[in-house]
Amino acid sequence: MNWLTTRRHFTLMVAPALIIYSLYMIYPILYSLYYSFTNFDGVSAGGFAGLDNYRQMGQDDAFWTSMRNTGIILGIALFLLIPLGFLLAILLSGRVKGSGAMRALVFAPAIIAPILVGLIWIFILDPKIGLVNAFLLAIGVPAHPQWIGGPTLSPYSIGFVYLWQQIGFVLTIFYAGLRMLPRDVMEASSLDGASRWQQLRHIQIPMMRETFGIVTALVVTGVFKVFELVYALTGGGPVHLSEVMVSYMYHITFTTQQYGYGMALAVVVFVVGALASAATFLGNRRKGEVR
Amino acid sequence: MATSPQPAPLTSRRHSGISRRLLLTATASALFVTATACGSAVNTADGSSSDGLITLSMHNPDSKTQDPATWQMVQEFNKKHPDMKIKLEGQPVDQHEQRMTIAAQSGTLPEIFWVYDSLAKTMVKSDDLLDLSPILAENDLKAKFAPSMLAGFQRDGVQYGLPYQALVTGFYYNKAILDEHKIAVPETFEDLLAAVKKLKAAGVVPIAQGANNSSFSVWAFLTMLDRFGYESKYQDILSGKASYDNADFLRLYQHVQELAKAGAFPSNMNTQTYAQAVASYTDGKAAFLDAGVWEAAKIQKSTVGEDTGFWAGPTFSDGVGEQKLVMNVPSAPFVVSAKVKDDKKKYAAVKAFIQFYYSDAGQKILVDNAQPPVTTYEPAVDAEKNSVFAAVLAEASKPGWKSPKAQPDLVVSAATASAMYDSFYGVMGGSLSPEEAVKNVQKTIK
Repeated sequence: MNWLTTRRHFTLMVAPALIIYSLYMIYPILYSLYYSFTNFDGVSAGGFAGLDNYRQMGQDDAFWTSMRNTGIILGIALFLLIPLGFLLAILLSGRVKGSGAMRALVFAPAIIAPILVGLIWIFILDPKIGLVNAFLLAIGVPAHPQWIGGPTLSPYSIGFVYLWQQIGFVLTIFYAGLRMLPRDVMEASSLDGASRWQQLRHIQIPMMRETFGIVTALVVTGVFKVFELVYALTGGGPVHLSEVMVSYMYHITFTTQQYGYGMALAVVVFVVGALASAATFLGNRRKGEVR
Repeated sequence: MATSPQPAPLTSRRHSGISRRLLLTATASALFVTATACGSAVNTADGSSSDGLITLSMHNPDSKTQDPATWQMVQEFNKKHPDMKIKLEGQPVDQHEQRMTIAAQSGTLPEIFWVYDSLAKTMVKSDDLLDLSPILAENDLKAKFAPSMLAGFQRDGVQYGLPYQALVTGFYYNKAILDEHKIAVPETFEDLLAAVKKLKAAGVVPIAQGANNSSFSVWAFLTMLDRFGYESKYQDILSGKASYDNADFLRLYQHVQELAKAGAFPSNMNTQTYAQAVASYTDGKAAFLDAGVWEAAKIQKSTVGEDTGFWAGPTFSDGVGEQKLVMNVPSAPFVVSAKVKDDKKKYAAVKAFIQFYYSDAGQKILVDNAQPPVTTYEPAVDAEKNSVFAAVLAEASKPGWKSPKAQPDLVVSAATASAMYDSFYGVMGGSLSPEEAVKNVQKTIK
């Protein structure tokens, strides 16, 4: 079976798939870039508009709001989702009774379609009919915060629901990483008298650096694809105050039929997402090299 | 009379652009529509239906329950024409519009379909739609329409659309709730404001309204815009001679803010859908519902059916021009794919369907399903059995009242229409001041 291990043959075998994939990915992206410089209305060919769409974006308050909201969700994902996922993985990887069932329970939201997650959480967060405000009322808190549908809290609520949905997935990756750690190192540290905290800080976290890198990259790319949660929870409203970049792009392109502007937004989302992902990968690589 | 599939088109004038647009669509889909279910395919690449002679594509996922008039119309047509078959399909409004746009790009439009007028106008520019004048000329069909019903769907001498249904909009009101709180049916804005305050104090939702994923449902407020001179102003606004940000419109938005501050709208308006708003009204939890004639049958069947009346909305002492206005206009049109003319059998089927739809028999089907006729057909409505529909018809034909020519959002671009919906909902929900609301709409006018 020499032909499978020969580099030239292997390259030849991979090449068709690589070419098709490249064409499928790169060619349309270049065409979107082209249309982002036009005023294409979706049906009839649009004229060349130069940088008009990008200038419009600069003056579009809703676009900046969508950027800010995406940033809020990204912050929640980086500073709450990842640490909490890791913490839960640590807890469930110990010899806790029922940890298997707990893992399954925490993972469950990850297998529910995001649009359904949104629908479920409407019944929890809705300011009028939601369980949270009903609970607050029951314990004597008179305030009825507008968790969703209001001008302020919606992106935070969406970030929290995203956390709830993704934490099982993050936990599972961390859990697998923890299980892969060599047991003898932990046992040796125990014999040397290391406390649980010292083991965590000086052994487990450093040895999990690569897993952290993968999780961070997945979470960052995932945040730039959040759409269904927003669609189901708030529809981007009120007046686009809870839009994220992708949902706003959808609104502009398909609801208002400004395809040229929508393509410009698509390009910006793509570039911002790609930069964030690249920064994450580079950061991980550097940390690896320093180590 | 079975028909053959439509032959593949010869060289199209847009042939070279098709692959580009398809690529663009593929990118758009790949980048940001991963969650959107697309439903069944529109048509096969050569324009033929896979399991029917022609396809009628609508903006309701389940026409049988959401648009029973059209559903029954198609059943009757198929029964009467065994040699022809119409396949009825549909999706929610947004998805439907998106599908029709993509279908126009790829040359796979269904034979006949509903579409917002702004998109129809775009399609006309690209010669995607059939001129329906020859069909209207046959059997003197044109004479069945009031001229205003057809005038809005003409461009450069081409009759590209026909009124699908009549759009009569305003407020349904629950007489029992109003009586219980000793409130007379309002006439002026001051009456409405006083009623709202009284109802709010009594713990009743004054006006059922739902903005989540149904941000277009501000019909009664669009009529109010006409009571501040929209019809005489909009052409100047669109041509840049005037601005949407003007003192008259601003006064209306200030009135909307007064209503909002008085508690006219439910606190969960922004998370509630239009369907949920309707449900809150039919459950007897709201005194008014901002909707239109299409809800008459559903309300009739509900527990509040017998107590429901219909009101065209408030007149304003500081309004502009005619105040006695009731919105009774053609809704978004039926249009026909230009490709239909290439296939005689498809053309015959489309023609037969149009002739049937606008015949007295067809209009009776509309009326039987609580839809006003769009032709001059005079319906006989049992006011006892269909009291809600009768109330709508009575309000629409009130002596001394007239209708604008078109609903305000149907004469502007999709972007401006969307900004108009946002402007009303923004003020109702307190997210926008009246000044910001009118400015935001103006920004979309290029």
